[in-house]
Amino acid sequence: MATRRVGAKVIDWAAFAERVPPNQRSQFNALKTKADALKAKLAAVPEKPPAINWDAYKKTVPVAGLVDKFQKEFEALKVPQPKDTASVTVEGQEKDMDNKVSKFVVESNNRIKQYQDKIAALNNMVPFEDMTLEEYFEMYPNSKPNKEKYPWWPHFPVWEL
Amino acid sequence: MQICQVNFLPHFSGAALSNVVLRTAGPSIAAAPKVCLLHTSNQKSMPYKMPEHGGKVRLGFIPEEWLQMFYGKTGVTGPYMFGFGLVMYLINKEIYIFGPETVHATVAIGLLVYTIKKFGPSIAAYADRQREADLVQAYSSKNAELANLAEAIEGEKKEQWRLEGRSHLFDAKRENIQMQLELEYRERLQQVANSVKGRLDYQVDVESLRRRMEQQNMVQWIEENVLKSITPQQETAILDKCLTDLKGLAKA
Repeated sequence: MATRRVGAKVIDWAAFAERVPPNQRSQFNALKTKADALKAKLAAVPEKPPAINWDAYKKTVPVAGLVDKFQKEFEALKVPQPKDTASVTVEGQEKDMDNKVSKFVVESNNRIKQYQDKIAALNNMVPFEDMTLEEYFEMYPNSKPNKEKYPWWPHFPVWEL
Repeated sequence: MQICQVNFLPHFSGAALSNVVLRTAGPSIAAAPKVCLLHTSNQKSMPYKMPEHGGKVRLGFIPEEWLQMFYGKTGVTGPYMFGFGLVMYLINKEIYIFGPETVHATVAIGLLVYTIKKFGPSIAAYADRQREADLVQAYSSKNAELANLAEAIEGEKKEQWRLEGRSHLFDAKRENIQMQLELEYRERLQQVANSVKGRLDYQVDVESLRRRMEQQNMVQWIEENVLKSITPQQETAILDKCLTDLKGLAKA
């Protein structure tokens, strides 16, 4: 029963750590310590409690039929499995994350496309040697002297430099 | 581009027009008729690029094309003969009159030529240097921009890759939950076994205690009865026996 539940999927912590963004490293470490602590605790607790030596008790306990009664009831007793209430939350988190990720991936791909367009534009532009000043200002609008806003030479906010 | 090829021009007005066109603006060069283009170096990327070098000239100011124009009809001396004859004609007919302005003009032109010859090259070199520096700056900023963009793309891809690894996180969370459940279950089993065992042990302990107490009571009872059974007569007999024994020991 125990082996079926725990360790159904081996977690590759090294591969996991590689993918953790640097700003979430501490959270990752907390999770890892928690998992490690649980693992150690689990290893410390035996899977099945040590068997009770009924025969020895039968010899030593004077009350007639008590041990037999105990044994019967002990063997009949079914220890209930603890109820799993956290899995639902995790499931919800995963679904939420999936939604966010799919949205983010679309946005990210759009951004990549924009960047690639910019790179292509830069690579295909008229070389600076052959450019006119107008074309240069069109390419870098910030470098154009704004004579209306700053009527005096050098036509840009020197004090902001 | 064929546009920038210099064509031989058999008429004068084209040359004058081409000068005007070249001085005014860049894009209009493309619109100008091919035959009107003069003094254009052989450029590849017209109309973007302005000619960097002027056309070939003789004596510093007479376009080579003008001389070429004469060669077909008059031979190589023709243009010089024409120029000389023209000057002679102007002087002879008093179209051009010598006066103090002539001296002034000669001196002025001489000074102009001297200044250009003396300072022209260094000014040109300075301008070239400036242009080179500007180009270097422009290209370095362009390269920086390209590098930034490449890095941004890399970052986006890395972020996507990181998000693909989220299954690790949820696996770990689920594993943690399962471990906690298992731990709880095992602890429950342990607790049941321990409490049953404790109750049985209690029975065993009670039994052993009862036996010990019984034993103690028995021993006590026997002791008391033995002591009670000893009479004073017996006691004195034992004491006498003890004294005789002591005396025997002292003698020896």
